[in-house]
Amino acid sequence: TITDGSNSMPLPGVNVIIKGTTTGTSSDFDGKYSIEVNNGDVLVFSYVGFVNQEIVYNGQSTIDVVMQEDAAQLDEIVLIGYGSVKKEDATGSVDVVSTKDFNRGSIVSTDQLLNGKAAGVRITNNGGSPDSAPNIRIRGGSSLNAQNNPLIVIDGVPIGNDNPAGVSNPLTLVNPNDVESFSILKDASATAIYGSRASNGVIIITTKKGTSSGVKFNYSTDYTISSAGDGLDVMNGEEYTRFIQQFHPGRAGQLGVPTGSVNANQPVSQTLNGRDIYNTDWRDAILRTANSFNHNFSARANLFDKIPFRASVGLSRAEGIVINDNYERVTLSAKLTPTLLNDNLKIDFNAKTIFAFKNAIDAGGAIGEALSFDPTKPVYDFSSNNRFGGYYLTTFDDVADPTNFPNQGFRRIIQANPLARLEQRERPENVRRFLGNIEFDYTMPFLPELNAVVNFGLDASDANILERFANNAFETYRFDATNNDLNSIDTNFLFNPGVNFEENQRITNTTFDAYLQYKKIFDSGFINNFDVQTGYSYQNFKNDGYQRRSQYNLNTGVREPFFNLANPNNRYLNVLNLQSYFVRGNLSLGDRYLLTASFRADGSSLFTEDNRWGYFPAAALAWQIHEESFLKDSEFVNDLKLRVSWGETGQQDITGSVGFYPSIPLFLAGDANSQYLPNSSLYSAQPFNPDLTWEKTTTYNLGLDFSFFSNRLVTGTFDIYKRNTTDLLATTPVPPGQALTNAFIDNVGETESEGFELNLNVNPITTDNFNLSVNTNLSYNKTEVTNLNGLTEINAGGSLRGTGSDLFRHAVGQQAGSAYVFRQVYDSAGNPIPNAFVDLNGDNIIDDNDRYYKQIAPNWTFGFGINFNYKNWDFSSGFRGQVGGNVYNLAQLNLGFTESAVLSSQNNLTNVLNFFDGSANPVISDVNGNIQFSDFYLEDASFLRCDNIALGYRFDNLIKNGSVRVYGAVQNPFIITDYSGQDPENFGGIDGNFYPRPTAYTLGLNFDF
Amino acid sequence: DDLETAPIVELSLEELLASDPNAVEGLVSRLYASFALTGPSGPASSDIVSPDAGEGAFLRAIINLQDFTADGMKNRWGDDGLDQLTTTSNWDRNNKFFRLFYDRAYFTIPQCNNFLQVLQTADFPDEENIVAETRFLRALAYYNIIDVFGKGVLATDENFGQSELLPESSRQELFDYVESELLAIEPVIRTTSNYGRANRYVVDMLLTKLYLNAEVYTGTPRWDDAAIYVNKVINEGGYSLDDNFIRLFSADNDASPEIIFPLIAESLTSQSFGNTTYLVNGNLSADTMPLSQFGAAQGWTGHRATEAWYGLFGNSAAELEASNDMRASLFWTDGHNYTMTDYRTWTDGFPSIKFRNTFSDGSGNPVDFSATDFPFYRLADAYLIYAELALRGAANTTMADALSYVNQVRTRSFADPIGMGELTLDLIIDERGRELNLEGHRRSDLIRFNMFTGGSYLWPWKGGSPNGTAISDDYKLFPIPVTAIQSNPNLTQNPGF
Repeated sequence: TITDGSNSMPLPGVNVIIKGTTTGTSSDFDGKYSIEVNNGDVLVFSYVGFVNQEIVYNGQSTIDVVMQEDAAQLDEIVLIGYGSVKKEDATGSVDVVSTKDFNRGSIVSTDQLLNGKAAGVRITNNGGSPDSAPNIRIRGGSSLNAQNNPLIVIDGVPIGNDNPAGVSNPLTLVNPNDVESFSILKDASATAIYGSRASNGVIIITTKKGTSSGVKFNYSTDYTISSAGDGLDVMNGEEYTRFIQQFHPGRAGQLGVPTGSVNANQPVSQTLNGRDIYNTDWRDAILRTANSFNHNFSARANLFDKIPFRASVGLSRAEGIVINDNYERVTLSAKLTPTLLNDNLKIDFNAKTIFAFKNAIDAGGAIGEALSFDPTKPVYDFSSNNRFGGYYLTTFDDVADPTNFPNQGFRRIIQANPLARLEQRERPENVRRFLGNIEFDYTMPFLPELNAVVNFGLDASDANILERFANNAFETYRFDATNNDLNSIDTNFLFNPGVNFEENQRITNTTFDAYLQYKKIFDSGFINNFDVQTGYSYQNFKNDGYQRRSQYNLNTGVREPFFNLANPNNRYLNVLNLQSYFVRGNLSLGDRYLLTASFRADGSSLFTEDNRWGYFPAAALAWQIHEESFLKDSEFVNDLKLRVSWGETGQQDITGSVGFYPSIPLFLAGDANSQYLPNSSLYSAQPFNPDLTWEKTTTYNLGLDFSFFSNRLVTGTFDIYKRNTTDLLATTPVPPGQALTNAFIDNVGETESEGFELNLNVNPITTDNFNLSVNTNLSYNKTEVTNLNGLTEINAGGSLRGTGSDLFRHAVGQQAGSAYVFRQVYDSAGNPIPNAFVDLNGDNIIDDNDRYYKQIAPNWTFGFGINFNYKNWDFSSGFRGQVGGNVYNLAQLNLGFTESAVLSSQNNLTNVLNFFDGSANPVISDVNGNIQFSDFYLEDASFLRCDNIALGYRFDNLIKNGSVRVYGAVQNPFIITDYSGQDPENFGGIDGNFYPRPTAYTLGLNFDF
Repeated sequence: DDLETAPIVELSLEELLASDPNAVEGLVSRLYASFALTGPSGPASSDIVSPDAGEGAFLRAIINLQDFTADGMKNRWGDDGLDQLTTTSNWDRNNKFFRLFYDRAYFTIPQCNNFLQVLQTADFPDEENIVAETRFLRALAYYNIIDVFGKGVLATDENFGQSELLPESSRQELFDYVESELLAIEPVIRTTSNYGRANRYVVDMLLTKLYLNAEVYTGTPRWDDAAIYVNKVINEGGYSLDDNFIRLFSADNDASPEIIFPLIAESLTSQSFGNTTYLVNGNLSADTMPLSQFGAAQGWTGHRATEAWYGLFGNSAAELEASNDMRASLFWTDGHNYTMTDYRTWTDGFPSIKFRNTFSDGSGNPVDFSATDFPFYRLADAYLIYAELALRGAANTTMADALSYVNQVRTRSFADPIGMGELTLDLIIDERGRELNLEGHRRSDLIRFNMFTGGSYLWPWKGGSPNGTAISDDYKLFPIPVTAIQSNPNLTQNPGF
């Protein structure tokens, strides 16, 4: 058996050759091999990325080999766009994260494999839902209103930035089990070849391939049970009763419900002045212990001994910890990599089909209601006069002056039941997606140095969203003025069960690349080799859909179609087209100098013809210092490479802020509810900017790849960079009266980033039976706005409380989207004094000029993992965190003042944070005025999170010709932070009704046979 | 070439004109809608970039700037800058409410300029009248710039599309421009129009307002000119006072003979958080009031009148109730305090129930959005202007007519008629308060009567003090928003900011 020294796993595909001959074989999926040899023959075992081993045969019946990874000769293949290089020949800043590095546990979406594993890559998902969107930032983001997500390329198909309708996380649409590796391209020389969409880095995802021999199967399954940890400390029924009696004694009569008025299945905890007080934990009522499982089956074979083939099928069912948050997915994939025509034609064919079924719940609404619903009220009310399907809702009968207006009165819902919100509505969001490509790589038989590559890619999806309500769903409760018995509160209402909303959408993204590559290797001379590629790339993104919307009739309360004459189906069609020409050359000199230069011309349909094309050059130089004579024989230095690069990349994706046609004058028909003059339609001239053109980012990068001491004891990379973005696409005020609106996107301003990244792997113990390795990464990034074309600041959103109260600004000299706050004044006991702020400019007036900026995103992020193998045992762990950065505790603002309990209505009470145990401070009685902009609510977001811990054991002999691995993993077992709110890891910087990230326990089985 | 992508939902001008024979009507509708709606894609959409769509509406901005800064109406929300308006204190150039009004006016102006250019591309039916209407709407936007900010840029269809920054135009220059535009279209525009559109008397009404306030705007009184145009409105316009004062502010006010120029609202088809919905819902709260009585499904617990308004009718809730003036009954007093000790406390001060969403007979279902049109110009305003002009000695006015007009306005609401001896300018400003408060005139009126700044006239929370305190004369104008100055450095700041 041949095993991998790093994890004791069998290593398939190892070449075994009798030295000096062409006779050989390769190991099968279990690392087993057999070969006929004679005494004295020398067997050479070789495998990409591992040290060759030579073993003399002298009669052994079996020869077990432990292959050791070779850092110095780490022939790791790095995909760099339109080709690949060996890692040692890469000139740019490229990280590779492959199977052995992946996070373990219950992984539903592909980004979870990568989180915390690469320096400079910050992934912050929007919460704990199975389909929650990941926000990926490589080296921070350089744009203000343009796209800041990296380009994601899956098996040669660049993924569009428009997600299919209903899909929050595009990376759930790839089965994580199929993923072999991620290549992360960070500096401009690496990304430049992707040009137009690569300013924020590139993540290339490669899926697993077939084998060159044998038929192998893998079946894996895991089962996960997850639950929420502690949440915000709101009061229970008893505490709340005490709170109301103490702080709002006049409202104590609204606690609980009149005795005997409801028929609940909960015990009454006490009776108070004729009212039944319940003790409901509303958070508990909407959360559950969630069960999830994955099944994956894959087969690998070499069809007809010619066509390496892999196919997989996966089935996942993931439950969110909020009730009815369900996600199911079926994935099918096939990959064929045949080589034909005397090895002159290589074909790479990938096809993936995904069916995803999601029930989209209103998680934010339900979580918010669960936090604030009066805990002295019951969850259910089964009494006969309950109209809301047995759920308790707080209502109020709004009866007008009965003498003058006898027929007017209606039952208003004051507080909606969060459980009813989850259970009375279903919103299936189903997606079918096909993602596939076929690439032909043909080497000219007459000129072997020249090959031509053609790649066709298709990413097509079909999404359907339906929103349906149950009978008696409070959200469909409407006033019926035509009812004859208007005096009766109980009958002049109706419910509108059934379909309320429907959307159908079809996304068709097509890619076509073609390039020629000329490669020449010289056997002698100063020039070792050079290659040149030149080609053309075409990408088209089309998103076509329509919606059926509803509204409620004013008189009858009946749901009816929302009919817009100018656009009856509420159709939308967005098309983005990108085309590029590129050329790249690589040159290797004197065995130690590597040069890369590239140039790319990109055209985008978002710009007018005159401004359409952007030109982006890049160059890089790498010096393999360890090849120099003074280091060549060093025991200490195995590998040392210095990289220098410079390059420009472009950004054009502003579709998120101004749509797909921002450069041409257009008219938009008004919606059905936005008409004005009677008997007329309404057409609005849309703002546009014909001068829009490419945003340009220049990156300088200096990097060092190293491996020190024997047995690759210490390996790593260090990169330091500086990045400058000019012609920044940002929404800024326009000169008054000189455009069709007050602010529009324009090429203004600049941002600047600098930082460094360190990946460090230490392998202190490497023996046949025991391996220990520690992987760490650390990165620092500082990005700030340096110029806004004469403006000092622009609004950057971040709505808090009340209407139009935004927290964030883009300001010169600050991180983009910094919080703009007042400095809180505290009394001698450390309590904040409401609305007392420090007069920062000393003019004795507290106004906007006394506000200052605090950044949201952290400068420092890090991750580390400890892995070890002992015989058949394997252990892995992953940790990650950030130092610095801030998060606004919106729950503290909204639930942390004593008046909050009585604010929603004169007729209703709402829950608040616990004022008795310090979760909230009773000195804050209201939040009127500027208190919401106090830095009191902005807290340090530093944290250390344990992402996962996994322990596995491999049984070699449990099944015939195969192995079984059993593992257990725990995800998100703990987090260490000073933050007092729900979770400091928050991409938007405002922690409101956050979907808790669960702690999950997984048990998994993996069969190879 | 695939790089030339073409939309199908949005249309080019050629496609639009080809697809809808009445496209021009739709383009005109859009310009009028700019005064009531916030955007073309529902109530959450916004023509201008603003933190909240509803705050970016023209009418809402007028109420915020003309009524909340004045004596009769206060708002309690704060909303990141609204406190400063409601307390006429700490005004600064960063306050978003000044920017939202400025930006809305300078949204409407280039939209009109763009449309005037469109009209030059071909011949359209009724083109002459449509051009005149468009120029009126543009002049109306400029009038508000003159009134509120005192200066700006002069963006016209002639310089539309130019990238060179426009120079600053003084208040006098803008005044002269608006005057010349209105005088040019006044003889051209039709005397009758479909509902919601401008006709000659709407233009005359704006000319009246321009001349009435000319002394404030230019230093030179133009009372005689004001009288010429208010006489045209009164004598030629064919309007008459509505018998039912309540109807003027109810969902069926589109049938009122008194309204000269309305801003339209409809509950389903013309929804906005910045049309009369802001007045109806904003003055209501389920805490103290039955919403259904006013045809509203939402109460925003926001605005209340002050004793500077309802004190004109009586000194207590009981006195208001006892008054035979119908206008005194349009305050909700149950559960509310007469004195506004704290403007942020909902129960301090009486909510105004002048605007409601029921029909004038009290019927109507509770809905989210108002169907009540806003009486932007109405005849009672013209009558009171006439009386004011007579008192100021304008030519072509008589005191007898003045007294008659004032008494027609009063007796329509069952208030006692006054005698000639009581007809003074002091009475006019009070009568304008009783009759017209919450209709967007109050701040301008107080400035014209020299009562807005200084300390001679105080009202609750003037200058940030519960009983009122003197404020600087600089407050006669609002600061120019910092965003405007930064994006066009030719603009200069008003004194004091």
